[in-house]
Amino acid sequence: MALVSGPGRAGSSVLPDELQLAIQAHVKYIQSLDTRRDELEYWLTEHLRLNGLYWGLTALHLLNRPSALPRQETIDFVLSCQAENGGFGAAPGHDAHLLSTVSGVQILGMVDGFEELEKRGKVVKVGGGEYRGKEAVGRYLAGLQNRETGTFTGDEWGEEDTRFLYAGLNALSLLGLLELVDVDLAVDYIVSCANFDGGYGVSPGAESHSGQIFACLAALSIAGRIDTVDKDKLGQWLSERQVDAGGLNGRPEKMEDVCYSWWVASSLTMIGRLHWIDGAKLSAFILKCQDPEGGGFADRPGDMVDVFHTCFGIAGLSLLDFEGLEEVDAVYCMPKKVLERILGPRYGEND
Amino acid sequence: MASHNVARPATIVPRTEQERIEEEREIRQYRELEDLIKAKIAERQYTVEVLELTSKLLKKNPECYTIWNVRRRLLIYGLFSKPSDSSLLSTESQNTSLTGIPTTSSEKLSSSSSISSEVSRTTPQNPAPQSHGKNGTTLDIIKADLDFLFPLMLKYPKCYWLWNYRVWLLQEGNKRLEADVARELWMRELGLVGKMLVKDSRNFHGWGYRRTVVSELESSKLNGRSMVESEFEYTTKMIHGDKGLSNFSAWHRRSKLIPRLLDERNADAATRRKFLDDEFDLIISAMYTDSYPYAQSAWFYYQFLMTTLTDYVGHATITPNFKPVDRSEYVIRQLAILKDMLDGAEDCKWIYNALIEYTMALCQIEGRGPDSDEKQDCEAWLAELRKLDPLRSGRWDDLEESLRK
Ligand SMILES: [Zn+2]
Repeated sequence: MALVSGPGRAGSSVLPDELQLAIQAHVKYIQSLDTRRDELEYWLTEHLRLNGLYWGLTALHLLNRPSALPRQETIDFVLSCQAENGGFGAAPGHDAHLLSTVSGVQILGMVDGFEELEKRGKVVKVGGGEYRGKEAVGRYLAGLQNRETGTFTGDEWGEEDTRFLYAGLNALSLLGLLELVDVDLAVDYIVSCANFDGGYGVSPGAESHSGQIFACLAALSIAGRIDTVDKDKLGQWLSERQVDAGGLNGRPEKMEDVCYSWWVASSLTMIGRLHWIDGAKLSAFILKCQDPEGGGFADRPGDMVDVFHTCFGIAGLSLLDFEGLEEVDAVYCMPKKVLERILGPRYGEND
Repeated sequence: MASHNVARPATIVPRTEQERIEEEREIRQYRELEDLIKAKIAERQYTVEVLELTSKLLKKNPECYTIWNVRRRLLIYGLFSKPSDSSLLSTESQNTSLTGIPTTSSEKLSSSSSISSEVSRTTPQNPAPQSHGKNGTTLDIIKADLDFLFPLMLKYPKCYWLWNYRVWLLQEGNKRLEADVARELWMRELGLVGKMLVKDSRNFHGWGYRRTVVSELESSKLNGRSMVESEFEYTTKMIHGDKGLSNFSAWHRRSKLIPRLLDERNADAATRRKFLDDEFDLIISAMYTDSYPYAQSAWFYYQFLMTTLTDYVGHATITPNFKPVDRSEYVIRQLAILKDMLDGAEDCKWIYNALIEYTMALCQIEGRGPDSDEKQDCEAWLAELRKLDPLRSGRWDDLEESLRK
């Protein structure tokens, strides 16, 4: 899956009022991404290949076209990215990283591929034990938790970020291996990142940022501890992210953007405040960011499309109950249906 | 990550045959370079020559995190541990796993230092005294690498891997250099991040990096001491600078520094009260003189100051010794100021929002329900909010409901 931008261009103001979702064009756009190996940008974006596959596949699932990418090839590719330590790299031959590992797990979850991971995944030997399949991945992830503070590093080199904490809990919960980490300590860490405005940053003391707020709320949701959030205060901050154009920005006085629209809207959903923004205006903004002919979404109307914004644009529309789309889950950014299959039918009942 | 702010021309011109051939050549070169580096690393050639190959690739593509990791291993297993610039790695413990991700974080926390000490122990031709090996070559390498990063950071200020690698490099310096030498490197960083924040005063990575640099400089391992006073100064300078009032990052940092500042000054009750007064004066006069009361960031700082009065559990960071009577006195004063502010700014939703919120907070402090005047005022202000800010009508519905309670 390539992250190559374009060739399409998101529609500008000439779009007709009856804003339609160009489903066929988007499906075709995503299918075409891996055929662009003759472009330099395809190779320069290899570090995001597995993330890109997750973004594309999620978009296809939400568009009700889950089989638009061949299942077996998808599984084969994901497994080919697994490193010797059990984690997944962005592409074959790349080092394992938490962010590509969570994408690998999410993709396998979506295509119901955990059994293949059990059969064909790397066998990892650590500390006298021998682990395979899901457990090998789970051990890799658990090894990235800082057992003194509860947060996670992205890889062996030690950078910590609340995004990594979320990614760790996300993947471990999908694998059914949350017990490998100290969830309570992780929750304490997130609570220590809360700011006076109700938001969260990358670490204690860091300023509130929508991407980070999403990660912290989603981690708290997985841990079942959304009760620790000051919902009214945070809801105010988040709802102020909507600008007159209908889209949402990531921080005060920044430009609106499709990806932030997802992070803010899903955050509002997790704290039960999605109705604090104008959903119709947000839908209209997102739709204006699509390229109705070439397919795909851009960050803003008139810009280059890419698979990252395509995923979050469609997920945003799904969150707003746009007709004809599969229901998305705000915590995992995956189809609800898939999560019910993996986590059980009772998943999400106490949201 | 993905593309941001990249406009696309209205018409897409297909590549000419010549352009296609050129791009093909570039792809081939890039992939050959990547393969070459990986092959050399597989042979454990931790040499200056391979380091230069990684530089070449990373200049083309600073997002390629695996090659940054290769570079780290080159330094750890090869270049750092050697007293001279001889380009061959002598010995390396065969059982040191190159990718060895530890299984638990306690192992992880100690892994890099144990690897480094292991390497130096097993490097027989390290006859140089500690000071030479420690500060000589290693320092040169770290400095050269920091210099290599700098232009890349200017070119790609949002590339996460660059910041990440830079911090790692400096932390290696902490482990391998004498404290004063390592400290000097971090001091340079403070100057550098200052320059970057002049260029883009809201750069998220920049502000985060500044926090990291300062906390390193304050740490005892680098013989540091508190920098809270100078950092507080810095935020004052930033909010008085160009577009300072809307610099959410600067206001945020200020809010985080204040509690420590007052503690370290051993501020007594009167000093704290005066401090709070001064901060209110600062933000309110800034609202009046600068962009008038429309800058959202300024309102978040105002909210921070108010939480020390209204929502003081866990936030009583400025005036922890205030009694309810002090708190209600302050809120009443602020309500009067807000009402004045409306004059000439009747279209400013932030004022109405604040008036309602703090009127309700006052009732709570005084342990009573709103009287009929307050009720009427709140209803009128809410009506203005609905008019001025229809995007958030769902929020106003909920607010109306809570006012009825
Ligand atoms: Zn974006």
